[in-house]
Amino acid sequence: MPKTMSKTKTIQYIFLFAFMLGIALCAPQSGSAQDTKTKYPTMAPIGQYLMADKDAEIALARSAAPDAISRDADVMVLGRHGYETAVKGKNGFVCIVGRGWSAAADPDYWNPKVRVPMCVNAPAAHSYLLGIIKITELALAGQTLDQVNHAIGAAVASKELPPMAPGAMCYMMGNQGYGGDVAPHWPAHLMFFFSDTDSAIWGANLPGSPVVAVTDPLYHLTQFVIPTQKWADGTEVQATEAHNMKSH
Amino acid sequence: MTMTRNQVHSIFLSAFVLVSALITATALPTAAQDATQQDPPSYSKMAPIEQYLMDRDAEIALARSAAPDAISRDASVVVLTPHGYETAVEGKNGWVCWVGRSWLGMFDHPEFWNPKIRAADCSSPAAARSVLPYAYKRTELLLAGHSKQEVIAAMKAAIDKKELPPLEPGSISYMMSKSSYLTDSGGHNMPHVMFYESVSGEAASSVDVPNSPMMGVNYWYLSADAYPQLKSFPPLSVFLIGADKWSDGTPAPSM
Repeated sequence: MPKTMSKTKTIQYIFLFAFMLGIALCAPQSGSAQDTKTKYPTMAPIGQYLMADKDAEIALARSAAPDAISRDADVMVLGRHGYETAVKGKNGFVCIVGRGWSAAADPDYWNPKVRVPMCVNAPAAHSYLLGIIKITELALAGQTLDQVNHAIGAAVASKELPPMAPGAMCYMMGNQGYGGDVAPHWPAHLMFFFSDTDSAIWGANLPGSPVVAVTDPLYHLTQFVIPTQKWADGTEVQATEAHNMKSH
Repeated sequence: MTMTRNQVHSIFLSAFVLVSALITATALPTAAQDATQQDPPSYSKMAPIEQYLMDRDAEIALARSAAPDAISRDASVVVLTPHGYETAVEGKNGWVCWVGRSWLGMFDHPEFWNPKIRAADCSSPAAARSVLPYAYKRTELLLAGHSKQEVIAAMKAAIDKKELPPLEPGSISYMMSKSSYLTDSGGHNMPHVMFYESVSGEAASSVDVPNSPMMGVNYWYLSADAYPQLKSFPPLSVFLIGADKWSDGTPAPSM
């Protein structure tokens, strides 16, 4: 979920997704956006966004997809200025751990605790991921959400950032990590990325549809999200969700 | 109830009337072999046409059950007649709901003539324009008595003359009916969403790995050697993701 989404869109996305999956979000929903926004108004010391244990970040990144995919994927870890390749893979997939500015609701933009693993396929690595990398570099340089949105919008308009490549998608099936105070635990899901696409073409967001979509005019991006029944390690999602909800 | 991965494979392999099967190159022989062992030899030729037909109203209802009501209630519905599919209901949202029959699976699928197959499907507007014409053409030719080889040759000629369209982006199908019969194997049914891509079967099957929620399969064949002329068809693969609910909102068995 790129930070290029407007704040309203991002929140809609989270709650629409949660609603359609019948999941109770762990954080208080009413007013949570404002509450968390005031909680993380500025960038924390950069060290709080980094993971001291590089191997732990690699393992967390890989947890986003089934082992058969992630074990041969590139893995990028966060450095002080952006993502750096830590493991060179051979299947075209790239796994990373997203931070608040690229992988959480806007109120969690500067939340240093956010850790969201994802593995993108080769087409997404050559399109979608470039946006995530740019957002991350801008955020680490201290740019605010509005500044990043402006920069990304300009980069898309100038084609510095390419449109989504055909077949671009990602796995977000890790049952670890932290999605932020607004949505601490994302359900396991797949995401498919398209540029300038009407979300209606997949029948998304209609009652009973298993497909959730959000169109982001700024990024000319439509994301289709389909929940999965299992985490990447093969365990059932429902049991884990129940556990997560009990623990809160 | 939890299905084993082999059962799921068998369902999508067979099912597919629209193409559902998925397996990696390594899994394919096993799945195909399983299906072969389970399928009676009677599926080697067409059964009397009556066995493939349905009561018209029942077929409309089954077709619509493929997708949530919010989609299917305004969809067009096509039904099978002795000579092919025809529109029974004109819709207004661009979606087309229909019930696939066995011959719309891969040409070398062991259940190719299984008269029990009823695969309810609601195709998106893009799929209705760019995928269904292939299904309609195949159905008309087969019901007219042409052999598989003749059908393949006729379709290839139609493709070359651009009488059959290229795949459109956004081609997707909902197959979430609780009442479908997709295969003789396993539980016979499984709710899922399918989307079509112009990629090779090899690329499609690469997503079918342990614990993956997504499976991919070649639209045309299980084995490229079965009908070599199919190799010259445009690459077309189907990706499938299981849904956790049927179209009526009730929970589905876990994959």
